Amino acid sequence: MHTEQELLAAMAAGRRDAAEQVYHAHYPTVTKWIMANGGAEADAEDIFQEAMVVLFGKSRSEAFRLTCRIGTYLFAVSKHLWFKRLRALQRQPRFLADDEADTATDRAYEDDISAHRERELHYEQLHAAMDRLGEPCSSLLKAFYHHDKSMQEIAADFGYTNPDNAKTQKYKCLTRLRKLFYGVQAR
Amino acid sequence: MMMPEDGNIWKTAEAWLAGTLGEAELAALDQRLAGDPEYAALFREHVDLLRALRDEGKERRFRSMLKAIHEEVKEAGKASPGTRVIPLRRHFLRTAAVAAGMALLTSLVTVWILQSPTVRKGSSYHTLVHMQNDIAKIKNAQYQQHLTISKIKDSLERLAPDAEVNASGTAFALTSDGYLVTNYHVVNGADSVYIRTREGRYFKTFTIAYDEQSDIALLKVEQRHFRFGKGEVPYSFAPGKSPLGARVFSLGFPQREIVYNEGYVSARNGFRSDPGQYRLDLPANPGQSGAPVLDAHGSVIAIVTANESENAGITYAVSTEALHKLLHTLPKQMNIHLPKYNRLGRLSREQQIEKLQDYTCQVQVYK
Repeated sequence: MHTEQELLAAMAAGRRDAAEQVYHAHYPTVTKWIMANGGAEADAEDIFQEAMVVLFGKSRSEAFRLTCRIGTYLFAVSKHLWFKRLRALQRQPRFLADDEADTATDRAYEDDISAHRERELHYEQLHAAMDRLGEPCSSLLKAFYHHDKSMQEIAADFGYTNPDNAKTQKYKCLTRLRKLFYGVQAR
Repeated sequence: MMMPEDGNIWKTAEAWLAGTLGEAELAALDQRLAGDPEYAALFREHVDLLRALRDEGKERRFRSMLKAIHEEVKEAGKASPGTRVIPLRRHFLRTAAVAAGMALLTSLVTVWILQSPTVRKGSSYHTLVHMQNDIAKIKNAQYQQHLTISKIKDSLERLAPDAEVNASGTAFALTSDGYLVTNYHVVNGADSVYIRTREGRYFKTFTIAYDEQSDIALLKVEQRHFRFGKGEVPYSFAPGKSPLGARVFSLGFPQREIVYNEGYVSARNGFRSDPGQYRLDLPANPGQSGAPVLDAHGSVIAIVTANESENAGITYAVSTEALHKLLHTLPKQMNIHLPKYNRLGRLSREQQIEKLQDYTCQVQVYK
C-alpha cells in the first residue's frame, strides 16, 4: 500500500494488514503522550482504539478525504478524547506542564468526534433493540450482522432445512426489529 | 397505498444497498420511489436499518481486530523501548514494587468494601466483630440524627454516599474555605472523591490539580460557602526542609477513627534518595496516605505517601516544597493562600491534636 489514502481505503474495507500497519506506526506516540499526561497504559489502549474507530467511521463515510497525515489525525483525536475523559473525571489537566487542550487544530476534529458519538449512540440503541427481540431473532441477526455468517452456515447452525427458510426467518426478524426501532404500527 | 410486510421489500432494499439490483429492476424501483412518496419513506426506513446493521457489524469486527492487534503490539513492545519511556522517577511507586531485589514500597491506601469487611492479615475475630459493631453503631447514630434534622440539606451531608467505597486515605486542609491536599495515588482513577469531616459529614470534592511525580493532589470541596472547623487553619507550612532528627507527629485514618503517631526525621531524602521526600521513623498504615506530618512547632513539613513494605515503621513523606511548587503553577484567580500564622506553637501536644482534628479528614474514593 503506497499512499496513506490507499492504506485508509484498505483499512475501511476491513483489511487486517492495513489496520496493523496503522496501529504499529502510531500507537507508540499516542501511548507515550497519554502516559506523560496522567494516564496508564490501559487508558492509552482505550483512547487509541477509540481514535482508530473514529478514523474508521470517517473513512467509511461518503466523500472521505483526510487532509492531513494519519499520524497527525490519530494524535489529535486521541488528545481530544483524553482531555474529555479527564474533564469527565474532574481531573483538570490545565495545571500540568503541557497545556495543549485548546489549540485550534484540536477543535477541528470536534466534528468528527461528535459524528462518532452519534454513531455510537445509534449503534447502542440498535443493539438494545436486537436484544429485545428475544430468540431466535436476536441470535440469528447477530450471527448474520455481527459474525458475518452466510445463510448456509446459519441454516445449519439454527436447524433450518435450507438457506431460503433461514432467509425468510431473517426477514421476519428484521420486520420486528424495524417496528421496534422506528416504533411504527403495522401497516 | 397499503403494502404487505413481506420479504420482498427487504430483498429489494438489501440488493439496492449491496448494489446488486439489475438495471431493469433499478429503473422500476426509481420510478416507484418517485411516484409513491409513502413507499419511498418506507423503503428508506428499510435501507437505513440495513445500513445501520451492516455498519454496526463492521465496526464491531473492526474493534475486535484492534484488540487482537494490540495483543501483538504488546508482545512485540516488551522487547522494544518505544512503548515505555516514562522516567523511572515518575512511576517509582509502581516500578519499585516490581523490581526484584530492591526495597519494596507499599502505598498507604486501604482498599476495602463497606458491606463486607474482609479480615485483614493478623486481625483477630474480636477486632473484626468490633469493626462491624462500629459500623452498626455509626449507621444507627446516623439514622437517629436523620430523624431529628429539619433541614434536608443537612441530612444529605450526613448520609454516606450510596456506592461501595473502593479506597480510602487521609486529606488535610490548606485553607478554611475547603481546599485540601492528599496523595495523587489516592484519587487517581476515581469516579468520585468524598471527605468525611470530624462531625461525620460527607462532602464531595473535586481534584483541581495534581503532580504525579511528587504524588500530591489538591482537592476542593464542591459545596459553596463550605468552611472547615472553627476559623482559620491554625498550622503553617514549613518553607524549607527540616533537620535530621526533628521530632514529628502525624494524624491519619488507617481506620475509621483518627490515629495519632509520632517519630522523627531519619533522613532528609526519601526513597532512593529522592530529595523531594523525607524518610521518617514513624509508624504508618494503609489509609494514612495523604496524612500531614508536623514538627513540634505545629508546622506541616510533609505529607505521608508510602512506607517500606518490609518495615511499616519506615515511612516516606513528600516534603512541603513539592506542595509549594504545585501551588505556584496554579492560576492567580484561584487565590489559594496558605495560612501565614501558626497558632499551635505554644500549645501542648494534646491541645495541638485537638485543634488539628477539625482540619484532618478521611478521604473516601469511589471507582
